[in-house]
Amino acid sequence: MSKSIEAKNLSAQLQYQAAGNPPSTLPQTAISNAFPGLEMDFRNIWKRILVGIELHESSNFVVAVDDDAPPAAGQLDNDYRLMSIEGIEFMVAVTGPLYPGGDNVSLPDTTFGDPQMSLEWSNALASIIQNYSGKSVHCVFESLENPKKTVKVKLKVRKFFDEADVNGEKVKLAVIAKDIAPPGQLTQSLCSPWQNDYRECACFYWAATRPDYVNVEARPDGTSTGNNWMQKNRTPDTPNVYIVDDWMDINLVNYTDLFRHWEESLRFIIGGKDEQPPQKVE
Amino acid sequence: MKETIANAPLIQIQRNFGASSCTTPPKQANFHLFDTESGKHILLANGSRIFTISDEITQALEGNADDAEKLFEKFGLSAPAYITDEPLADVSVRSLSLAIAQKCNLGCTYCYAQEGNFGSKNKDMSAEAAMASVNLLFSEVSKGETVNLAFLGGEPLTNRKLLCECTAQAVALSKAKSVAVNFSITTNGTLVTPEDGEFFERHKFAVTVSLDGIGDVHNRLRAFKSGNESYNRILKNIRPLLKMQRDMQVSARVTVTPDNLFLRETLDEFISLGFHSVGFSPMLSSPTGKSEMGQKELDVMLEQMISCGEEFERRVAAGERFPFLNMTNALRELHKGTHRPYPCGAGAGYLGVSADGGLYACHRFVEDEDGAMGKVWDGIDRAKQNLWLSKRHVHFQEPCRSCWARYMCGGGCHHEVIKRGRAACNYIRGWLHYCLQAYIRLLEKRPDYFGV
Ligand code: SF4
Ligand code: SF4
Repeated sequence: MSKSIEAKNLSAQLQYQAAGNPPSTLPQTAISNAFPGLEMDFRNIWKRILVGIELHESSNFVVAVDDDAPPAAGQLDNDYRLMSIEGIEFMVAVTGPLYPGGDNVSLPDTTFGDPQMSLEWSNALASIIQNYSGKSVHCVFESLENPKKTVKVKLKVRKFFDEADVNGEKVKLAVIAKDIAPPGQLTQSLCSPWQNDYRECACFYWAATRPDYVNVEARPDGTSTGNNWMQKNRTPDTPNVYIVDDWMDINLVNYTDLFRHWEESLRFIIGGKDEQPPQKVE
Repeated sequence: MKETIANAPLIQIQRNFGASSCTTPPKQANFHLFDTESGKHILLANGSRIFTISDEITQALEGNADDAEKLFEKFGLSAPAYITDEPLADVSVRSLSLAIAQKCNLGCTYCYAQEGNFGSKNKDMSAEAAMASVNLLFSEVSKGETVNLAFLGGEPLTNRKLLCECTAQAVALSKAKSVAVNFSITTNGTLVTPEDGEFFERHKFAVTVSLDGIGDVHNRLRAFKSGNESYNRILKNIRPLLKMQRDMQVSARVTVTPDNLFLRETLDEFISLGFHSVGFSPMLSSPTGKSEMGQKELDVMLEQMISCGEEFERRVAAGERFPFLNMTNALRELHKGTHRPYPCGAGAGYLGVSADGGLYACHRFVEDEDGAMGKVWDGIDRAKQNLWLSKRHVHFQEPCRSCWARYMCGGGCHHEVIKRGRAACNYIRGWLHYCLQAYIRLLEKRPDYFGV
């Protein structure tokens, strides 16, 4: 039987919602943003872009070196990071305001206090994929311990798309190559929105779908008071004060609470207020 | 009267290429149904999306076109509007064409530049205007971006010295700013030397040679001002370049008038000469009205274009390169699903500069108030540019607003539309209709042509 609708060109393929698929299968609605999504973590696609080594998905660290890597790459196993490919640099100085409306200042990397930050791979590697797929490139690595120590190695860029033999000819397919993303790699490091990321998410992305500011009451001066939904031990007599999120604050539900007994720790909110404990039935 | 295909009774249009949907006014604003051997298909104007659909869906849409949006919803084909009424604004320039010489040694019958000088006196661009133009081109881009510098005229090779100086300046700025630059030139070919070829090769020029047919067909349309024939001279000049081309690309551009409608043989001849690509465009508005294409001639041209397209399909199916530019461009855009509210970059990222340093919407608007946008020394007149962009948006063009081809056509060449009107819509839609069919066929036969 012929299919009743078949998307032919690229714009049609991108937008088509096949029968039975939910709206989240469309690119503009999918929860697969640059940070780990729900369906896959696209950042993992870049980990094995260079033959012989594995990179971290969100920074420029070398996390593993293959046994059969080119000999010159062997030493990279020892805390190195990738600084540039063919002269294209991956560490840049980033400036911006530290708080809304603040002055533009140099933004250091909070983990390492480095005045430079590594760029996000999808953009940083775009021209490398376009120009050097399947070719060897000059890579420069820098030791984390001693930034003066650099290593120059020629590594091959993996082909991003798979190929097939059609009538004896190599034909490029619109499929991500297997050796760039072995089975299971794309679904590593997914968000766990109902556990860890439920409180972890610093930008309140997941929090947008759950209560945050509850038991809110207006004050005469136009401001309001209320509780943080993650606040423990809330009774009608608990002072109506919002505790700012801090995972070490013992007054707030912590990660372990969520992993072990989220059912007891979290409470339903009805009409913006804590649900009252069920009445005892005589 | 000269015999042309248009008036030769023996060569009449025989084939019916689905005339119902392409030689009549657009039936639907939001979709276009078409057939191929493999079934029924639809182009959705919104997002230029192409689907193969069942007979049932086709019938539902045919019988119920007014409810198309509801049916799209039902079949999972609806989408938010890809293009809104919002015009582009304050677009920074990425491409400039310089009329480095507003003069020409040919006297083509239909020239938009009125034999090269745009209706005023013959003049060369000054070095100051040229350098200011190049500087302007590099002033709005950042590291890693690409700009395009085109040399036009008149005949740009009558001012070779300035051409070389501009190129050198652009190369220097390209290095200093880490901005890539692509060069191009459109020439009549009569003055090209092997040294020019080496220069173009060195700077990877895209060289477009205007050639309107083989031998006398060309000579009748594009003679020297003295009346002398130009074809043999041009070919003698261009042959060494065709051999030399590695990094440069030497292409032929044919302006189609009622007097050179033999497209198929022109295409075959120019491809066999070794041109990198060969493209055709109809003459729709000339300053004198001479050589403009009428409806009858456009019908013949469409026939001929389809014949060229069919040869393209045969060759590509056989795995050969067949650089028929109109077809390669159309297939690339159809495959991507290109959708845009303007026909071209004119007045947006692309501007033309006159010899006096005036900025205009494109090379054809040079010295024309309709497309004036400031001076190179003062930068782009944003008020004029934004007014142009809001007025020229396809949503505000008639009858484009209700034409299924609007996001691929973009409303037609601004210059032709402003000067003559929309005389070629049936031709545009007919060509698109054929290209859509060819796209489906080639996608099945040679998916690798599209990189899939
Ligand atoms: S100019 Fe283009 S978009 Fe406008 S009506 Fe004609 S074919 Fe359609
Ligand atoms: S307005 Fe016409 S001539 Fe000018 S760039 Fe656009 S399509 Fe070309």
